[in-house]
Amino acid sequence: MENGNIQDLLHKAVEKGENLGVNFIEARYDNLNLTTINYTNEIIKQSSSLSRKGIGIMAYYQGTPGYSYTPELTLEGVKEATIRAAKLAKSTDSRNKIKLDFDSIPAIKEKIEVKVKKHPKDFEFADKLDMLKRGVTAVKEQLEVTTTIGLYGEIYGEKYLVNSEGTELYWVPLMVDIRMGGVVISEGKQSQAFTGWGASTGLEFFEEKETTPEITGTNAGTYCKEQLEAVAAPSGKTKTLVSPQMGGVVVHESFGHLSEADFVVTGQSPIADRVGEELGSEHVTIIDEGVSPYGGLYLPYDDQGIKTGRTVLLEKGILKGYLHNRGTAKKMNSELTGNSRAINFMFNPIVRMKNTYFEKGDLTFEEAVEHVNTGVYAVDMSGGQVGLDGNFMFNCSRGYLIENGEITKPIKNTALSGNILDLLKYVEGGTKEVTIKTGYFGGCGKGGQSGLPVGFGGPDMIMDQVLVGGAQ
Amino acid sequence: MTLDEIRDKILNIADQTIKYAKDLNIPAAEAYVYNLSNTNLTDNKGKIDSRDGLTQGIGLRVAIGKQVGFASCTGFEKETIKSTLKHAHSIAIVSPENPMFNGFVAGTNVAKEGILDPEILHLDSDSMIETCNLMSQEIDLSDTRIVSDSYTVNFSFGGYAVSTTEDCLASSLITSYAANSYFVVTEAGDRKTAGDFVQGREIKSVEGISSNGLKKALNSLGSKAFGGSEVLPTVWEPRESAAFLGFSFINCVSGSSFVEKSNPWGEKLNQQVAVKELTLIDDGQELESEAGRAIDSEGSPKQTTTIIENGLLKTFLFDKMFGEAADQATTGNASRGGFFGGIPYENVPNVGPNKLLIKEVGKNLDQQIGEIDKGILITGTPIGLFTANQITGDFSITTNDAFLIEKGEVVHPLKNISIAGNYFETLNDIRTIGSDREVSGWPIDAPAITYNKHTISD
Repeated sequence: MENGNIQDLLHKAVEKGENLGVNFIEARYDNLNLTTINYTNEIIKQSSSLSRKGIGIMAYYQGTPGYSYTPELTLEGVKEATIRAAKLAKSTDSRNKIKLDFDSIPAIKEKIEVKVKKHPKDFEFADKLDMLKRGVTAVKEQLEVTTTIGLYGEIYGEKYLVNSEGTELYWVPLMVDIRMGGVVISEGKQSQAFTGWGASTGLEFFEEKETTPEITGTNAGTYCKEQLEAVAAPSGKTKTLVSPQMGGVVVHESFGHLSEADFVVTGQSPIADRVGEELGSEHVTIIDEGVSPYGGLYLPYDDQGIKTGRTVLLEKGILKGYLHNRGTAKKMNSELTGNSRAINFMFNPIVRMKNTYFEKGDLTFEEAVEHVNTGVYAVDMSGGQVGLDGNFMFNCSRGYLIENGEITKPIKNTALSGNILDLLKYVEGGTKEVTIKTGYFGGCGKGGQSGLPVGFGGPDMIMDQVLVGGAQ
Repeated sequence: MTLDEIRDKILNIADQTIKYAKDLNIPAAEAYVYNLSNTNLTDNKGKIDSRDGLTQGIGLRVAIGKQVGFASCTGFEKETIKSTLKHAHSIAIVSPENPMFNGFVAGTNVAKEGILDPEILHLDSDSMIETCNLMSQEIDLSDTRIVSDSYTVNFSFGGYAVSTTEDCLASSLITSYAANSYFVVTEAGDRKTAGDFVQGREIKSVEGISSNGLKKALNSLGSKAFGGSEVLPTVWEPRESAAFLGFSFINCVSGSSFVEKSNPWGEKLNQQVAVKELTLIDDGQELESEAGRAIDSEGSPKQTTTIIENGLLKTFLFDKMFGEAADQATTGNASRGGFFGGIPYENVPNVGPNKLLIKEVGKNLDQQIGEIDKGILITGTPIGLFTANQITGDFSITTNDAFLIEKGEVVHPLKNISIAGNYFETLNDIRTIGSDREVSGWPIDAPAITYNKHTISD
């Protein structure tokens, strides 16, 4: 369908919704192309090319939302979805006690296109497969592995938003990613390592010094080899140096989710109603940002058409604010932060993070290691979770002992856990260099919307009293 | 639209898609046609969000000998289907051969279909609001310890059809209903969460969901620090027991990881992998669960498979391709979307469990607690289960939902603790497998289980 026709359909949805007596309508269109190659043991285990196309309608009636979606890109299909969204909003209003209506803002009419050197749509499947082959060769050069894994992922396409205020937005998401892994299961030895990340750029990302397939493969092989000789992590509360990616997971999973205002307006977050309180040490400043100078995810607008900015959540330990959609911002008398995001047209936008990271400190890396003296250097992770009580657990899949102010032996896979509101008070400093990671694989999960691309990072951060959970 | 009409529609589209493939001179193809209507309502302390819609699309595999390509599209528009077929074909042309691939499912062969409840098609937002009212009326919201009360109601109906150029044309339908409650409570600085749920293929009564969930949350208040690090027995309530074992089993029972040599049980066939009391089956014909279906997601009939019998590993689970690669028949375990969900038609088939069931043995939860001199009772799903090392079996998880047991009695709730150990060692060190299996919400149902030793720290 031509772009003009799509815009017409979205405008028709808005008109239809307004005629149905709702107060506000947002109509979104996604046309996303996703390609994934899973190259396991030098066989294409899965290669897929997905076209994800459809329209989602959000209706608001007296501050009560209702959402409906359809893959049918016809006037009939879109009108039907609008009727359903309006009905949901109106029929559920009687029970809704937290009305999240919002003030009108000036219409935005903008078309954002990203220029990259090597857009993935201009390259053949074979080119992408070749990168994985090069990475796998590098893994195998490091050690004899039982299994090699190479993953390639890309997403690109277009998104439209039209709403009752007359906003017309068009922008183009883009992300490429390569991951490499190795597994050893042999003669009683077991080891696995997986590494790599992505970027909101074209394939030129894989020509940069630290992110070529060869380097990613070499790293995966090296880490896998290290794990064969790894020692058990110490058990108990330990001073820990966390890498940018590990610290990024901490700040995303533990603090970031608690700062999402949908959890705050319902009182579910333990940091609700605590703006101005000292929640962390003076070394902790936490930022959420749509387009960051440190890289990561490129997100100029959220899915309510709000320009993403730089939100200071915590400044030198003091809670400054929360992450908002339009409704929560109005409810809490806060500025718009552009954090309303949906993973695709099948879901309503909810409050989500963008690029969330610790701000830089003033230490060199050597000074940070020396400061820890005895503890753990936690580098890579393979997932993390947080409860609404502030407790978190994240898995350290690559880490090292720090002994006498030096990084020494690799440690086995271990959990790092604690309560974020305790831990932030024990942050003792950070290094000078901030890195933000993002990717096609993984992503954030919330409200049934898993795999949303986000960015996370920071400098290397020193944290005391981290509960390192290794078996005795 | 009735369920029969939905079935006719998806079968017709699957059949038509294969005809398009033949018209395009594509040598071999498989169409997976998915159509699911879903409605969801959440009430978080009075903040209502509702969503409905039709998730609809086709996953297309095309093969040229052993070269396979996959592409998918949303919707059932004819020209889109044809262009997606061409795209899958173009991927197959440039893909290297997959030596394991040996064709799509041939012929139509179906098992029993799960229970279908046509009443679910008549539910709407009004009935969901009424259900939320029923759940919230069960509890006294004036209790100042309640920070937030949340309720969710979800229902869906639809199904999928599979058609291949090898004359497979079959379908499976689903109706499903779920409701849950979730509470955050606090007292004297202690903050706890808990909830309860019902789910099934038929409309369920929600009676007791809220009162049970809230009671569980309130009982956890007044927690004390464990204080140190100690190796102790752990007793797991049935749903938590299922969660604990589920993620590890998914890799260990997988025939794909066996073929790919990334399965830690790969060399353990017919060997003891667990205590003799443990028997594990995969039941694709449990007709009351979502897994009970006529066909798997590549068109093979579902079945019931005994994986571990009296502690001995008897087989792995297979789909067609991985089964043939291991000289085995498929066990009807082709799955699309995986453990973490995902849109089924956007995924190629891979091996996944239907419904893993641990056979009930002896004592119920209370009896197991009664036999513990000093240990830990786990009552909530720990954080971090998904990050356990599936190869080495090492796990370190944390929970805020645990109680100290002393001299056969539950003494008091605990503040956050970590539980560490190794899955493979702990399966051979089970003290008791219970008699009280429950529906868990995970791809595995288990009874309460007591393990002899895990490292507990705070």
